[in-house]
Amino acid sequence: MFWRKRKPSNFAAELDAHLELETGRLKEQGLSGEEARMAALRAFGNVTRAEERFYEEGRWMWWDHLMQDLRFGLRILRKNPGLTAVAVLTLALGIGATDVIFSVVDNTLLRPFPYRDADGISIFRIHDLDQATQSGRLQLSVPEFLDFREQNHVFADMTGTGPANVLYTGAGGTQELQGAAVTTNTFQFLGVPPVLGRWIATGDGAPDAPPVFMMNYRMWQEQFHGDRNILGTVFNLNGVPRTLVGIMPPRFQYFGADVWLPLGLSGSGAVVTGEPVADRRRMYLIPEERRKAGISPETVASDLNVIAQRISKLYPKDYPKHFNVKTDALASDVVGDFKGMLYVLLAAVAMLLLIACSNVANLLLARASSREKEIAVRASIGASHGRLLRQLLVESFVLAAAGSFLGCLFAYAGLKALMAVLPQGALPSEAVIEMNSPVLLFTVAVTMLTTLLCGLAPALHAVGGELHPRLKDAGRGVNSGSRPGRFRSGLVVGEVALSIVLLAGAGLMMRSFFAIEHVDLGFNPQHILAVRLAFPEGHYSTPEQNKLFFQQVLPRLSAVPGVVAAAVTVGLPPFGGPQSEVTVPGKTHSERWNALFEPCSEGWFRTMGIPLVRGRLLSETDVDSARQAAVINQALARRFFGQEDPIGQKIKFNALDQAPEAPHDAYFEIVGIVADTKKEDLQQPTMPEGFIPYTVASFGRRSLLVRTSGNPDPMLKSISRAVWAVDPDAALTRSGSIQTFLQDFVYAGPRFGLVVLGVFAAIGLLLVVIGVFSVMAYSVSLQTHEIGIRMALGARRSGVLGMVLARGLRLVALGIVIGEIANLGLTRLLASQIWGVSARDPLTFASMAMVIAIAGTLACVVPARKASRVDPMVALRYE
Amino acid sequence: MSTQKEKDRLELLQGTLDLLILRTLIFGPQHGQGIGRTIQRTTGDELLVEHGALYPALQRLEERGWVAAEWGTSANNRKARFYKLTPAGRKQLVRETTKWRRLAAAIGRVLGTEAGEG
Repeated sequence: MFWRKRKPSNFAAELDAHLELETGRLKEQGLSGEEARMAALRAFGNVTRAEERFYEEGRWMWWDHLMQDLRFGLRILRKNPGLTAVAVLTLALGIGATDVIFSVVDNTLLRPFPYRDADGISIFRIHDLDQATQSGRLQLSVPEFLDFREQNHVFADMTGTGPANVLYTGAGGTQELQGAAVTTNTFQFLGVPPVLGRWIATGDGAPDAPPVFMMNYRMWQEQFHGDRNILGTVFNLNGVPRTLVGIMPPRFQYFGADVWLPLGLSGSGAVVTGEPVADRRRMYLIPEERRKAGISPETVASDLNVIAQRISKLYPKDYPKHFNVKTDALASDVVGDFKGMLYVLLAAVAMLLLIACSNVANLLLARASSREKEIAVRASIGASHGRLLRQLLVESFVLAAAGSFLGCLFAYAGLKALMAVLPQGALPSEAVIEMNSPVLLFTVAVTMLTTLLCGLAPALHAVGGELHPRLKDAGRGVNSGSRPGRFRSGLVVGEVALSIVLLAGAGLMMRSFFAIEHVDLGFNPQHILAVRLAFPEGHYSTPEQNKLFFQQVLPRLSAVPGVVAAAVTVGLPPFGGPQSEVTVPGKTHSERWNALFEPCSEGWFRTMGIPLVRGRLLSETDVDSARQAAVINQALARRFFGQEDPIGQKIKFNALDQAPEAPHDAYFEIVGIVADTKKEDLQQPTMPEGFIPYTVASFGRRSLLVRTSGNPDPMLKSISRAVWAVDPDAALTRSGSIQTFLQDFVYAGPRFGLVVLGVFAAIGLLLVVIGVFSVMAYSVSLQTHEIGIRMALGARRSGVLGMVLARGLRLVALGIVIGEIANLGLTRLLASQIWGVSARDPLTFASMAMVIAIAGTLACVVPARKASRVDPMVALRYE
Repeated sequence: MSTQKEKDRLELLQGTLDLLILRTLIFGPQHGQGIGRTIQRTTGDELLVEHGALYPALQRLEERGWVAAEWGTSANNRKARFYKLTPAGRKQLVRETTKWRRLAAAIGRVLGTEAGEG
């Protein structure tokens, strides 16, 4: 539409043609050439007026004016390279930071999944009403799953997925893969087409169906270099030959699996198609479902509640006394706790952008004041208010656009840096965080907003008011008491207040991080290597076989040079072992008593560096003879025995009663007490915990812990060799030093908050310094004349210095007060993100006020010194 | 073509020029000068159509998509821009004509009764 307009030259040609035709006609009627021409012109009327009307009605004028404004704006900005650079850089920092956080929010909170209509997918949990803080049970046993699927009236479709550890034996030996066993409708449900081959389909779940599986893109690339010919070939997975039928696209990471296997469901349980029915596992499935059209989430919840109440009678052990069913969107589950942090950061970048805008508005205001004369001249020779306003806004738009462009570059680099500090597992793995088109669109919107935020006030100020006085003495003697002066001071106060809030947030994060980092773990995490072991199904299934294996492995490990101690365990520190209800003979209590228990070898305490408090540790004989002896931690002693001496008393871990190949109704004699150790949630009080010989049972995945004398990571090779010397089929997975686990899973979250908020607060502080400096420098330059008079009348240099400093610091002080008041209310929003420090920590608030006061003073010193060096004679002649 | 006669001519009512142009084009494509002449001829030289006003009007109609234009050659072999009615322009003509007729009839009724009473 825009380009359909005609060019003025084209229009002029048409008018010429008209005049010629008309002249021709009149000549035919007998007029002479000159007469005819004059008559034609007379009949036409005013040619210039017609051309003008064409021009004004067409869009050319609009376009010409815009181009004019742009050219003029660019010229003005080029004339002040310093100011332009500061303004563009300031906006680029603000916009870049906003882009980075928006990108994370958009890609994780708004569109985290690649699935078809992902917003329609929901989950539900069995929520224990007596434990309000717990999120509830998500997994369903297979019979439960079938009951829900068959009895509900609200779901269009429902899928179930369970974890399946898969041992893959290929050319490079045995390795453990992350597997997910899915009901056969799952891929249809998710609706993401495979890059190669086909989905797992309904027929693949039948008991006699040929075994198939699908592969993750990453595994395809890393292990098979994207070879398309592997489709349709047969893999040995868990000892079963399986045909690869499909490969999913890169972003598809459903359940984080390397391979997906079809799951057949029946009333008696779940079988991964192709695996022997005897290996049927007591599997728990995570259901996901879509509502039927027109059904509200409330209807879903009430329908599911009815079913749950009914089936809780069938499986009383799986249901708490008081419960209800809660439904939730899939995204809410995956992003979970991290959402709070993202909202905090979103608020932080909004503040940062505001600081940047008020900074630039300030610079533009200062310049608008000095351009008053120019504007007044333009207005007096006929420029309309609208036209002037538009021209000034075009100038700020040019600034904002340049800032946005640079900001996008900053954001691109910023996102890369952000990915490096992002805590593992905080975001859904399928979210792709990048500068994509929604982010760019958002940037355009921010550019417009920025243009108005930083351009409107200066433009209105420049255009408004009387012309006459401004023509007379523009650009001089405007003191800070005038309207724009007050407005600019207000902007500085606002900036300081915003930056105090940002700084306080960062300060609280820092205190919280240090508090977490200084939590006493109760063990020494340095130089411990942890390795999880995986064996083919059915290997080492009895305690005896288990013992035989480890009794060969442990001495070999200890013999490896550099190994100080080694132990076998079930729980992988810093994550705890299994949990169980406990029974202590002779004790009656109304609530459940829960404790962690750790089947381990006698080397555990030495490997972990946990000191003995009383009694004795597990001995080699205890472990060798699978004696029912237990060492407990102090938390267990305190909690269940109070003032009594627990040594010599008995304790039963009820979970053992349920486990196969474990002593049932076994009471362990307590032989010793060790110090408390922290698990991955450092903020929580230590759980009661017991340590028993690993030889009493064979359940659970076993892990090896090895304490080394130096850096543990390079030791993995020799440790693997020691294990494979005993059993070449053993797969070593999830290996790493405990220190690394702690960094990745425990400290990464708080560190992320600290780093990102810290960077934002630092940028904010820098912008505030620039803001205070520019306002003070400008007001000093306007007051040169006044200062000159004062000095001519005998004012001392120090007095002038003090005067300027005092004025600047008054603004900063006012900003600090307002900011601290805002803090009292605002930092509470941070409370869920910090730990070990009050959200109104006075020390943090005070030290941040100090930081800003010092920075503000520095920003005032240079203009103040310049003011004190004013030469009265020069200043007076300055007029 | 006396000056007296020019003074007696009727000023065009606002908005009627568009209608006249559209109506003129119903007989086929025509250039600006031809349109002006046709209007003047068919109104018996009663209407004052400043030729200069034609072109901004034509431009307006073109922008609204009621007429389409292209350069061509006139009957006496001169270059000129020819305008023709588009389907949308035809619809607009029908709409405007109806409106104009109702307006004229209504005004006619008012003036008619007055004349009768007097």
